[in-house]
Amino acid sequence: MIATKTQPTQRHRKKGISISEFLVFTFPLLIFLLILYGTLLWNVYVSMANWVSTAPDFTFKGLQWYKFLFGQSRFWIDVQNNFKWLIIGVLPTTVVAIFLAYLLELAPIKGVESYVRTLILYPVAMSFVVTGTVWSWMYQPEKGVFNSILASMGIHSPFTYTNDPKTATYWLIVIFIWQYLGFAVIIIQSSFRTTELQEMVESATVDGASKLRILISVIIPNIRSGILILVSLLLINSLKVFDIVWIVTRGGPGISTDVLATNMIVTAYDQRLASAGAAIGVIIFLIAFVLVIPYTLYALRKWFE
Amino acid sequence: MKSKSKTLKVIVIIVLIILTIVYLLPIYVMVTNSLKTLPEITQRTYLALPKQPQFKNFSSALFGSKEFLIPMARPILNSAIITVSVTFLAVFFGGLGGYYLSRTKSKFTRVIFILVGIALYMPYQAVIIPLTTLTARIGLINSHLGLILCYMIINIPLAAVLMGTFFLGVPRELEEAAEVDGSSRIQTFFKIVIPISIPAYASVAIIIFTQVWNEFFIALTLVTPKTQTVQVAMAMTEGSTISPYNLQMAASLLTVSVPLLIFLFLGRYFIRGVLAGALKG
Repeated sequence: MIATKTQPTQRHRKKGISISEFLVFTFPLLIFLLILYGTLLWNVYVSMANWVSTAPDFTFKGLQWYKFLFGQSRFWIDVQNNFKWLIIGVLPTTVVAIFLAYLLELAPIKGVESYVRTLILYPVAMSFVVTGTVWSWMYQPEKGVFNSILASMGIHSPFTYTNDPKTATYWLIVIFIWQYLGFAVIIIQSSFRTTELQEMVESATVDGASKLRILISVIIPNIRSGILILVSLLLINSLKVFDIVWIVTRGGPGISTDVLATNMIVTAYDQRLASAGAAIGVIIFLIAFVLVIPYTLYALRKWFE
Repeated sequence: MKSKSKTLKVIVIIVLIILTIVYLLPIYVMVTNSLKTLPEITQRTYLALPKQPQFKNFSSALFGSKEFLIPMARPILNSAIITVSVTFLAVFFGGLGGYYLSRTKSKFTRVIFILVGIALYMPYQAVIIPLTTLTARIGLINSHLGLILCYMIINIPLAAVLMGTFFLGVPRELEEAAEVDGSSRIQTFFKIVIPISIPAYASVAIIIFTQVWNEFFIALTLVTPKTQTVQVAMAMTEGSTISPYNLQMAASLLTVSVPLLIFLFLGRYFIRGVLAGALKG
């Protein structure tokens, strides 16, 4: 190390990157990025073409398919449902995760943390296809697990869960929260564990602040970046939601739980309106892009600081 | 932050009981019902225990039977081929790219980093139609290679960010010392950086493996009967007349068993991977 410090020319040489280094390190990543963004641009073009059957038709039609979508009530139902997912999939998950992580930090019982971690994190390893399948057993109105439990307590359950068009989307979101809560908790937990924060909590405790007070005015303001990361990841995952809806309700009853992603598949592959499907893809991308801007800027600053 | 309060202890215990029920109930339903006979499921409550565990349900789910027409063995094999290939290739190329991102600070690197960052969150719906056309045009629609390629395109940026996060924490002194000894950067990477980053590679491999094994949207649009993945086969058992309930649960259990076993035995790496993706990326 001392040697490098006394050889400024050598250090200087290392700042740049030689052609062979470029080929080995950067080139493969670059190629795959090019394909990915190439397909994205291609998709944008398809959305402005006139591809309405199995055979591609690349005649330029401008924004015709976007107008077509905006004129459909189904599209607006999807957008509404996607917003329900974005709000209810993210806000309660984050709040519950913060409380749970805090409780675990305070927990005076030995071994609780590793038990809870395994208990609530295992769904992260499961696919939504399986989770969705099992949860549709939980939700069945007649024989389902929840209603049988209620019945055994002598309660005639008024809930029909995902069979009720008015509330079906919310019951689907519950599955999402169940699956992501453990993930949310470990992200919050790890942002608790900085020495600065621990010291601030110590001194607030010495000053006699209550636990809730400490959470609200010391901890939460100091884990802002952890919250930003968590909220961004949850937003993106609830925007991309497809599997749960497809498996549990396939958009039904009627189209009451339809979201943009399920509509996209139906439009592009069942109705064979590839261009309209591509347009839905572009719209989902644009929403995702807006949602991840704060996160990307944060990551960029942090990475190159 | 530890506290000694009694009320707090009570609250923690109540929360623990609720969480245990909420998180074990679905697994309980899955396991017990996968071991029942069909009449036991249809005539009694789902919560009842099986009278006599029917282990043969698993062989019926794996290899098919008169009532179950979706043998899972072939899809599991397909998923294994696709997932293992993607994991190795994505981690290898992602590691190289991630090393580049973690060691240079030029404007060009920043541009690549932004492109990678957006790629991480690319909704598959925005690229699926061109991907379908592309795999068809290059004649890969009916082979595993087509799916492998599509998953690589999506997972290499993720692997690059995750690996890069770990490389940022690798002290540069080691590499500098090697380079003073006349080793080129490429040699240094393969001889010094990779060997000390094996745990990081393991974490990232587990994340990519789980993600690809569980992926459904791309698989649903791209698979053919020959390349059907485990999630697509699983989805066919849902609400279908060709699959009795007990075998549907047995198939579910088979589908989740691979990533779940990895999680239970290599949980430490799994959590590190999740945190790397979340905190520093």
